[in-house]
Parts: sequence; structure tokens; C-alpha cells
Amino acid sequence: MNKKIQRSLAVVSAATLLFGVSAVSSAGAAQKTVYLAFQAPLTGANALTGQDELTAARFALSEYNATNPSVKVELVIADDQGLAEVAAVVAPGIAANKKVIGLIGPAFSGATQASLPAYKATGLPMISMSATRVSLTDKKAPVNGFPIFKRVVANDKFQGPALARYAIKGVSSPSVYLVDDKTAYGKGLADYTKPSIVKDAKIAGSDSVPENTSDYTSVVAKVKASGANVVIYCGYAPDAAKFVKALRDGGYTGIFAAGDGVLKATFPNNAGNTAAEGARLTAADVPFEDVATAAQMVAYTKLTGISKPGTYVTSTYNATNIFLTCIKQGVTTRPGMQNCLTAGSFKGIAGDTIKFDRYGDIIGGAAVGAFTIKAGKIVYVAVA
Amino acid sequence: MNLQVLESQFWSLCLQGLALGFIYVLISLGYTMVYGVLRLINFANSEVFMVGTFATVVAQVGILQNQTDAQPLNGFRLIYTLTFALVFSMLICGFLGILVELVAYRRLRALGAKPLGFLISAIATSIVLLETTRILTFSRPQTSPRLLDKWSFGEFAGANFRIDTVMVIISGIVIFFTLDRFVTKTRLGKAIRAVSMSEEISKLMGINLNRVVSLTFFIGGLTTGAAAFFYTTVYETTQFNVGFNLGLAAFTTAVLGGIGNLRGAFYGGLFLGVLEQFASAILGSQWKSVTVFTVLVLVLLLKPNGIFGEAVQQTRT
Amino acid sequence: MINLRDKGASVWENWSPPARSSFVLIVITLVALLPYAGDFGPTSFLNTPISSYQAVLVYPIALFVLMGLGLNIVVGKSGLLDLGYVAFFAIGAYTMGIMGTMTSLNTWEILPFGIFFAMLAGLLLGLPALRLRGDYLAIVTLGFGEIVRIIALNLEVTGGPNGVVGVPTPPPILGQKFELDDHKAYFWVILIMILLVIWMVRRFTVRRPGRAWEAIRQDEDVAALMGVNLLIYKLWSFTIGAAVGGAGGVIYASKTMFIAPDMFTFNTSILVLACIVFGGLGNIWGVILGASILAYLPERIRFISNARQLVFGLVLLIIMNVRPDGLLPRKKREKILQKAVK
Repeated sequence: MNKKIQRSLAVVSAATLLFGVSAVSSAGAAQKTVYLAFQAPLTGANALTGQDELTAARFALSEYNATNPSVKVELVIADDQGLAEVAAVVAPGIAANKKVIGLIGPAFSGATQASLPAYKATGLPMISMSATRVSLTDKKAPVNGFPIFKRVVANDKFQGPALARYAIKGVSSPSVYLVDDKTAYGKGLADYTKPSIVKDAKIAGSDSVPENTSDYTSVVAKVKASGANVVIYCGYAPDAAKFVKALRDGGYTGIFAAGDGVLKATFPNNAGNTAAEGARLTAADVPFEDVATAAQMVAYTKLTGISKPGTYVTSTYNATNIFLTCIKQGVTTRPGMQNCLTAGSFKGIAGDTIKFDRYGDIIGGAAVGAFTIKAGKIVYVAVA
Repeated sequence: MNLQVLESQFWSLCLQGLALGFIYVLISLGYTMVYGVLRLINFANSEVFMVGTFATVVAQVGILQNQTDAQPLNGFRLIYTLTFALVFSMLICGFLGILVELVAYRRLRALGAKPLGFLISAIATSIVLLETTRILTFSRPQTSPRLLDKWSFGEFAGANFRIDTVMVIISGIVIFFTLDRFVTKTRLGKAIRAVSMSEEISKLMGINLNRVVSLTFFIGGLTTGAAAFFYTTVYETTQFNVGFNLGLAAFTTAVLGGIGNLRGAFYGGLFLGVLEQFASAILGSQWKSVTVFTVLVLVLLLKPNGIFGEAVQQTRT
Repeated sequence: MINLRDKGASVWENWSPPARSSFVLIVITLVALLPYAGDFGPTSFLNTPISSYQAVLVYPIALFVLMGLGLNIVVGKSGLLDLGYVAFFAIGAYTMGIMGTMTSLNTWEILPFGIFFAMLAGLLLGLPALRLRGDYLAIVTLGFGEIVRIIALNLEVTGGPNGVVGVPTPPPILGQKFELDDHKAYFWVILIMILLVIWMVRRFTVRRPGRAWEAIRQDEDVAALMGVNLLIYKLWSFTIGAAVGGAGGVIYASKTMFIAPDMFTFNTSILVLACIVFGGLGNIWGVILGASILAYLPERIRFISNARQLVFGLVLLIIMNVRPDGLLPRKKREKILQKAVK
């Protein structure tokens, strides 16, 4: 019996410790501090995207706080696991937290869709770094993000055609095999890529391979049987790495092209330099290491422990800096932030100008960059 | 429907399906062995597999200091590296299996818990393994260097006999029949079968029950670790969430053949591997799982205990 | 080991009927007041960091309790291992999503349809699957759960991976409006549904179906020998469980206004199952307690963002080791019976 009591005491004290910590951390709000919320998947199957993005938000904030500003900024980090049902629980909480004056995120379109009602009801301005679903900024959509939703990433309507154009550029009699990963992101991009392919090339076939599939040999078999000379993949980097490797090992010699979900330093790393060589990638999000200064990269690595930044790091960095710019101008309220975002003009890390249109997309910022991979490095080619 | 792919790719799909099937077989032995002895589904096995894939990468990159962009090795160095990684992964998974039994099963068995209690504690263990690995790897995929140059023996009827495919198939057969002989012929194997027939009677016969159970988890871990090594060698990349899909496929494998039946798992895995390839080639990859489960239901309707019936002890009757 | 459930039962039996009724009323009132607990001084420790406490009360807590009670009929009462329970929840949610956006029916009118379709699915799955035993049934139900999700992912009418957007919220009942940022009304509706399910389960338990389920759970062969029609009663338990899941799904879709296939993964099935085993299989109060704790815990520990799920797994593992039969296990009498059988 005694042992049991001890054990339950241990559980109870562990619980008090946890709950106690929370009480302390929520009470420690200093004066002249405003909060930005960050919403992305940090645990669960989609954690990689959110964890990568979080490094950028942290980094931008550390740069800002290092300048000893009069208003301190802290992050409220909310993990939505990239899932709509979790976002629906998280969003009302952040919306109700009056200290939060801006939201970086949500990272995923589905989570954004589920979060919008709560944020709209409380007028919390938000800038997403990676929600690419077209309907979020479409004025005709049944539920769009007007007026609070902004994004610093090109939506599928811009990226899809650019991807199709770039993929078949310079290919004589292109025949395209289109593969998506059956996620909201991949399917959405594929749906907007397809019409452009139909216009300029022949579609040899298409397939939807669910995320986290290990074995792509049956798709490779189909690609080979169809005689396609261009393969376009709409999905994320880990799966793209497996797919392109299977394609090259299976003897496919044509072009491999993919969208911004794949454009990150870990892609050539995971696929192997030989397999990734020459892959054509598009993104409105340029690789962070290409646009950051050397000193910034050193500081970034020191802060996060990561030397190869992942996807959407640049866009998250930009999104965070846009909020920080407004705060530097003296904004400390949600309506103030909303006005600042709607009216203001901002500088991206690459020196580009960011201005939002009425429904939240970047004005003229839909320029999608074309990249390729040379000897394991991502190389910028041109505007696609 | 896409039947045109069959004309040129039929044998290629078969071969790839077999290679995949052998990986399923090896993972499913982790379920089969434990089920045979304890009549419990070892839900943590999928995460044991996941840890094994990382163990392989650690062995190749961390311990033997091969860079991720290293050139393929050859000769003695290659054999030594592959063998070391295989043994390392198997041992890590084997001992992890014992650990899983200790934290998730041992105490519950002593308290006489119901099967569902074990199921939940095994799932809790797999959450712990999954999240620990995720935090340790920053949620990132890890790459295993291409140490084995993937040369081909040649093409036969459109099927490309690549070295890694052939290696998986041959090693799968060797490992499976070694295990089969171990269970049917050796003293320890007989003890496992005895426990699987009746716990009470084997206790009376002087068999140390806990040791046999630990041994079962260890052996299940060994084969799962071997599967993890082959998986990493063929696909050369792994991530913290790799376990779920493969674990599910391996579990399906075990059920198809008859849970707890070694030979059932063998044929079940090969059948499943080939079925998956053809389903995704003909119907499209998005319908693969639906096809697999539909076939599974049909099989179970005809043979309610799987194709080969249940239990380890029946392998030799 | 202390069996809290038996202790509670013996206290309860010594009470007079008026004492019992007033106790029940007080408990229901207290539970109904839960949405206010987050802002009320002495109970404000319940408040969840980052996420909204009131939203957490609706989903996951209340809906997990509801699903737990539904699944408990299948797993706890009749001993059929169902690893795909989320399928029925999904069918209810998609019925609401599709009918709500395409027809002019409101949530309360769609509710019977949601329940009906879930029951129909339960029947269609049950007819072949319920001939199987134990772990074979488990994998078939698991497969069914995945099939429903994948079909929702692949079809056009369900919106594919984008799901259904703009699902209407319920019209007001008795002057109580269902506002977006006001979660209390949803909580009360689900609370009423939970009470109805509890009442239903208790009625069943003491009547013929309950006894048949009990017999099936303890020994199928003996039950068949005693003249229990196995398939019929198994189907009953399956479809009733499905109905509860479907009803939960309808309310859920109407609450979040947006549904997508990734809301209905295997994880949810497992989590609901974990809730009822953790609480005490087969015991209504255990199920409620287990679901409340397991749904609440991950939200309460949100401040440790990175290791949140890890802590959740550890807690689950430790408690299962300490109390393998759950926090409030089934009556001891049955355990003694089981021992005797062994």
C-alpha cells in the first residue's frame, strides 16, 4: 500500500509542477510588451513544416529584441498540428487573448479555414506564411479571409501556371505526368497546374500518391509505361525526395519539376545530389540562405541549431518582420495593426516590396521564382 | 483503370512487390511472434521499426563516419559497413523490444490486465517512442548515404533485378527460414511454442515465463530491426512518422496469413506487397489502401482465421 | 487495489430516492455550469493556456465523452473491438456538411439523417464483419475507418482534401442562439445528448439486449448455446454505437463550420478507445472520467509546446501500469466471476 501511495504522490506532485509552471509563465508579463501569436503544426505528422517556420519567427524576433526597442515583443506559440480540428480549438483561445495583436500563420490552409471564424469575430490581423489555398483570398468563396487575412506566399492560382510553364520550358513535344500527394496543398496546386499543362502540352497521365508513402516504384512503372518526359510533383519535400530517387533509379531520364513545398535545402540532401540534379522547382519563397547575409546565417544557426533552413523560412521571416515594422511605428492594438497592414508598404528580406491587396494577396508579388538544383545546391534561375 | 501499364511493367511490378513484401514479412514477424505467445497485438512494433531505421542511419553516418554525400563503397569496406549496420539495427530493435515488454506489458501481465489494457499501454509506448524521436531529430527526415552502389544484374522481361532488390529478397528468405527453424527445432524455440500452447502448463514444466516472453519480444525486435535496415538501404531516407504506414501494412500482413502463424505471415506479406503494387498501378495510388482492406475483408469472410489459421505452435503440426 | 467504482456504488445504494435525485440534479447543474468555471476565481486553474477553454469543453472534451459512451456500447458492453469508430463520426459530419450546404435543411433536421446514415454504415459493415472474432474484427473495423476517410478524400462531392466549407451553424432553440465565439450553447446541447445516451445505456443494460451483450462479452459460445442470437445482438450494439457517433459528427460539423478528411484519422479512433480503457471499460462513469481527462490533458499542458504529446504518452503509459483496468473499473463481482471461470 505504502508504495502505491508514494507513487500516486509522485504523479500528483508532477502534475502540480506542470500546472504551477504554467501559472508562473502566464503571470510573468512585463510592461510594454506586446504579443504576436504563432500558429503552425509543432507536433504530430506535420511537425516539420511548423518547426522550420518557428525557427524563422524566433530569429526575426531575436533580431528585433536585440535592438533594445521601447516595446518588447514576445511570441505566443500555438501548436495546431496542422489539423483543422485542433485549429478550431486553438483559434478561439488566441482570438480571446487581447494581448495578442497579430498572428503569424496558420501554416496550413485547412487549419486556416477552420481558424478564420474565430479571428474574424475578434478582428485579429493575420499573415500566413504558407497557406496557399486560393479560396482564402477569393472574394467569391463562401468563406474567405477578408478583411483580416493576408499572406506572403503566392497562392496556387499564380504558382500552378508558373510551375507548368517552367516544367515544360525547352522540352520538345512535352508529355507530362502529374502526381500529387492528396493533401490539401498538393491537390490544390495540382488542380491549378493542370489547365496550363493541357494548354501547352500533352498529359500522359496522373496519380495521387498519399503523403508518407514509402514505395514509389508502381508510380515509376506507370510513368515509364506512359512515355512521359516531364514529371510534375505537387507535394512536400520528404516525399518528393523519395519519388525523384525512385524515378532516377528506375531509369527515368526526363524532367522532374515541383512546387514550393519542395524548395528547400533538405530536398537535394535527402534525394541525393545525383537524383536531385537538374530538378526544376518554383516558389515565391526564396531559400533563406540565399537572401540572408552571412552574419544572419551564423546568428540563425546559433539560435536554432539548424544550418540548413527548411521550407517557408523566408516567408515566415518576412511575415514576422512586417508585424515588427508596424510595431516599430508605434502600433500596439489590433485595429492599429489592421490599418498598418492594409495601408503599409514593407520590405522583404530579399529587398522586394510587399504591399497587400484588398483580399490579402501581395500586389504584384505573385512573381514566382524558378530554381534548379546544381551539385546539391539550389540555384535561382529566373522569374518563371 | 489503367491496364496498359501491365503490358510493359507486369514483371517489374511483381518483383518490386516481392521486395516490399519481404520488408512487410520481417516487420510482421514482430507482431506474429508476440501474438503467438501472448495473444496480444504489439502495437508498439511499428515504432520499434521506426527507431531501427534511425539506428541504421546512426550506424552508417554516426559510428562509421560515412558522410551523407559519400561515394558508394566497395569490397570489404562495403560488406563490413552493411553487416555492421544490419547487426546494429537488429540489436537496437531487439533490446528495444525487451524494453517495450518491460514498460508496457510486464506489470500489466502481473496484475492480470485485460487485452485492451495492453493495447492502450502499447499505444502509449509508441506515442512516447515517436515523440522522443521526433524531438531528437527536429522532425526532419534523415538520409542514409548511398553506400551500396545500385547496379543491376540486368533486365528480365522488363523487371530490373537491382542489387538491393535481390538482396532484400534473398536475405528475407534466409532470415525467415532461420527463424522458422529456430522456433521449430531449438530448445528455446520449443519453449516459445510451449508457452504459446499453454502458459500454465509450461510454467509447470519449469519454463521461466518472463524469460520466454522477453525472448519473444527480442526475436520480434531482431526481425523488425532487419526490416528497418533493408528499408533504409532501399529507400535511403527515413522520418519519425515512417512507422505508421509500414506498421499498418505489416499488421495487415500478419492478419492475412493468420495472426501468430509464422508461415502465414510469410505468404501474407508477399501477397500484400504484390497486391499493393498492382492496386496502385491499375487503380491509382489513392485507392491502394481501399483495395487492400477490401481484399482483407473478402479473405477473412472466406477464412475467418486468416489464410493459414492461427498460432505459432501450429507451424509444425 | 481500491475499486472506487464499488465504493461509490455502495454509498449510492444506501441513499434514499430523494437524496439520489437531488444528488443527480446537483451534479448535472454543476456540469452545466462548467463553461463558466474558466473565469470563476477558485476554479480558474481549469483554464487552458493558449487554446480557448470553452471551445475545449465542446471539442474535444464533451464530444469525446459522447463518442466514448457510444464506443463503450460496442467495446465495453458487448466486447467487440472496434478500431474504426471515427468512421461513424465522419459519416455524421459529412452528412451535415453536404446536406447543410446543398439543401436548406437545418442542423436539427439533418441530425436524424446523420444518425440514420451512421447506423446504415454500421449495419453494412457489421453484417460481414461481425462474423469475425476478436482481433480479426479489430483490423476489419480499422480498415473500414481508413476506407471512409480515403473515400472522403477521393470523392468530388466531399470536396476531396479541401473538405466542406461553410457548414451552417444550428438555428436557435428556445431563444438560445448558437454564436461563433460562444461555445456554451454547443456544450449544453452535447450535454443533453450525453444524458440521453447515459439513460439509454442504463435502460439497455438491465433489459434483454444488455444481458445478451453481457453474455456475448463473457463467452460467445456459451451465449450462443443459451439461445442468444449472436449476430442480431452484435448488430444492435454496433448500430447503436454508430448512431451515437453519427449524432456527435453532425453537431461537430455544425460547430466547426468546416470539415476535412484529416479530421477523421485513425488517431481519433485510438484516442477515443484510449479514453474508455483509461477510464474503465464498460463503466459509464469511468468512460466519462477517462474521456474528460484524456481530452483535457493535452490542452492543459499546451505551454510545453514541443514535448506536449510526449508528456501525454508518458502519463497514459504510467496510469495504465498503475491501474491496468482503468481508473474506475467495472464491478468487482464480474472480476470474481472471471477468475472462477479461469
